[in-house]
Amino acid sequence: MPTHIFSVLCENEPGMMMRICRSFMRRQVNIDSITVGIEPSGLARIILMFNSDERTAEFLRQVLLRLTQVIDVEKLEEKTSIVREIALLKTKQLSEEERGRVLEEIEKVGGRVLQVAGKALIAEIYGDHERIEKLIHTLGSGVLKEVARSGQVIISKTME
Amino acid sequence: MPKMSGAKILIETLKSERVKHIFGIPGGATIPIYDVLYDEKEIRHILTRHEQAAAHAADGYARVSGKPGVCMATSGPGATNLVTGILNAYMDSSPVIAITGQVPKPFLGTDAFQEADMMSIMLPITKHNFMIRSVSEIPKKVKLAFKIAMTGRRGPVHIDFPKDMQVAETEVEIPRKVKYQKKVKVRPRAEEVRRAVELLVQANRPLILAGGGVISANAATEVVKLAEILQAPVVTTLLGKGAIPENHPLALGMLGMHGRMAANLAVTECDVLFGVGLRFDDRATGDVRHFAPRAKIIHVDIDPVELGKNVRVDVPIVADAKIALRAVIKGIQSLAKRGKGGQWLERVKKMRKDFAPRMDYDDVPIKPQRVMKELMRTLSEEAIITTEVGQCEMWAAHYYEVKKPRHFIVSGGLGTMGFGFPAAIGAKVARPGCDVVDVAGDGSFLMNSQELATAVDNDIPVVVCILDNRYLGMVKQWQDLFFDKRRSAVDLGETPDFAKLAEAYGAWGETVTRPSEIAPKLEEALRCGKPAVLDIVIDPEEHVLPMVPAGGRIDRMLT
Ligand SMILES: Cc1ncc(C[n+]2csc(CCOP(=O)(O)OP(=O)(O)O)c2C)c(N)n1
Ligand SMILES: [Mg+2]
Repeated sequence: MPTHIFSVLCENEPGMMMRICRSFMRRQVNIDSITVGIEPSGLARIILMFNSDERTAEFLRQVLLRLTQVIDVEKLEEKTSIVREIALLKTKQLSEEERGRVLEEIEKVGGRVLQVAGKALIAEIYGDHERIEKLIHTLGSGVLKEVARSGQVIISKTME
Repeated sequence: MPKMSGAKILIETLKSERVKHIFGIPGGATIPIYDVLYDEKEIRHILTRHEQAAAHAADGYARVSGKPGVCMATSGPGATNLVTGILNAYMDSSPVIAITGQVPKPFLGTDAFQEADMMSIMLPITKHNFMIRSVSEIPKKVKLAFKIAMTGRRGPVHIDFPKDMQVAETEVEIPRKVKYQKKVKVRPRAEEVRRAVELLVQANRPLILAGGGVISANAATEVVKLAEILQAPVVTTLLGKGAIPENHPLALGMLGMHGRMAANLAVTECDVLFGVGLRFDDRATGDVRHFAPRAKIIHVDIDPVELGKNVRVDVPIVADAKIALRAVIKGIQSLAKRGKGGQWLERVKKMRKDFAPRMDYDDVPIKPQRVMKELMRTLSEEAIITTEVGQCEMWAAHYYEVKKPRHFIVSGGLGTMGFGFPAAIGAKVARPGCDVVDVAGDGSFLMNSQELATAVDNDIPVVVCILDNRYLGMVKQWQDLFFDKRRSAVDLGETPDFAKLAEAYGAWGETVTRPSEIAPKLEEALRCGKPAVLDIVIDPEEHVLPMVPAGGRIDRMLT
């Protein structure tokens, strides 16, 4: 099933996330990524990624638009958008050899070590979704103790 | 500017929205509001005996009057008792305003006495809901609630009102109007109208399918006009009953699971289906793969979510039913075209005659069909029918010919037993000049029979006609037809004596067992000047037929 991205402009009020998320829950659709930011206007912009067939996606778009506090729902395409994500990675206690390999992998994808304590370290990596996925996959659960991710922040390339 | 308490501001704002009636029950968290109501002359508060009934009464009031109905409950159990009624209003797009007391703001989220998280509970069952968070925002939020309930597709709105906000005072002005930014498309695009008109004038077998949206948009006149210009039959959904006088030669009655055969066949045979103000519910369409299989479908609805949701649509039109109908009528007239009539019209007339429902049974025990005949004979076209849920509702929907919009009030989407009686109370309050009759099942009536006290005490003379089969009849029917007659937990036994129950409340009550007694006793009930219960003992073995089994094709009915 194709991935869909919605950029939802809505009022910034308590419960807004719940209203939006339950619309997906009710139709048995899993949200893969969700980020929220407040626009200069004071409105909130919620960016959602999910997988569903086209018909369900369009239905969900209408369901969101029906919500009283939703002002607009823009459908974004990955191809015509800029997608960014940040991940913070905390490792387990590593052997000397492991550490060398980990540092190498992190550098290879442009990541950066933020803190070292004993034999463990915390690194950051940012970029598109695939790059982060790949690094996390390469390091694996043998190395990584904790991963915190921003979710995908997306903006369309169109400019008026 | 005068200083007012939050409770006073609420009541003044309700008055500015021309609210004349509130249905409700007070409690700890709404006492400040009731204290204001104590001196209030312009608003009549009707004390129900259960909050569910307050919600249904507000719903019935709204459907009959076309104006928002208001109900009120205290926090916690009072508020949760509203839930079924509010969901019922939501499912049938009825504009109800529910106001509930809430624990004071500092106690929110602490499981304080009689605290229920109503913001979460009401969220999925209202069009919108909000909490009063400051006294000064009361006028704006309350007015907005009315605006939201009445804009676009109608629906219930809930306001949660913490007690400290009712007591706190401030100086505010109540604005005449509030701005609601939400954009709702009510006008069809010229291109959409052109395509619909083109299909309709070229059609050999056009058909109009009218739903509840026609009623709420007050577009019944336009439906009849379009039907006459096109010479097209009109079929309605359950909530669409009243969109055309059902004795009109082009009216084929209701479609669907318990619809009329003529309606279901016409839908199956038509080549253009003009659906307006409906959501193609599964009880109406049956198996969607075989729904209107030969037709191009034009679908007009104010709610974009509905278009293409259940059936494939060739011409989707987001618009208000009345505006769209007028545009289409104008489009057809400007082409100086009329319907072709001819063979299709002959076919429609023949079906109407061949499948005319039979009601002239003289049997004892009384056949429910005969009850419908007697009701139609006795009641004027101004009478308002509400129904409970079950066989009783489907008999009324199938047989009773409704002549006017807003005169047939049922629980459609939710199928709520216990709806009809409190809805009748609401209807009578809205239209005291009309006779109001609840066509009830014995099981359903018992779910809100305590409202006899409300009706007697507040002098609201409605008539409950119980189709008394001493069964949860509709469930029994399914067990008989699809579960090998294994009648599990559907026998209601011998109790109560409904006439005596009515009398115990100070209402009029009688039991009838013979067909010839129905009309005179109904007359008596209508003219006795008090709430009345007419217990009609009917044949407990009778099924609602014809019937489309769940998920079946609507042109293949069990008879
Ligand atoms: C509140 C509620 N509970 C249960 C049901 C399931 N149900 C649907 S019809 C029915 C029987 C209704 O019995 P009655 O009111 O006597 O009407 P009848 O079918 O006998 O005419 C039941 C239990 C329901 N619709 N609503
Ligand atoms: Mg019964």
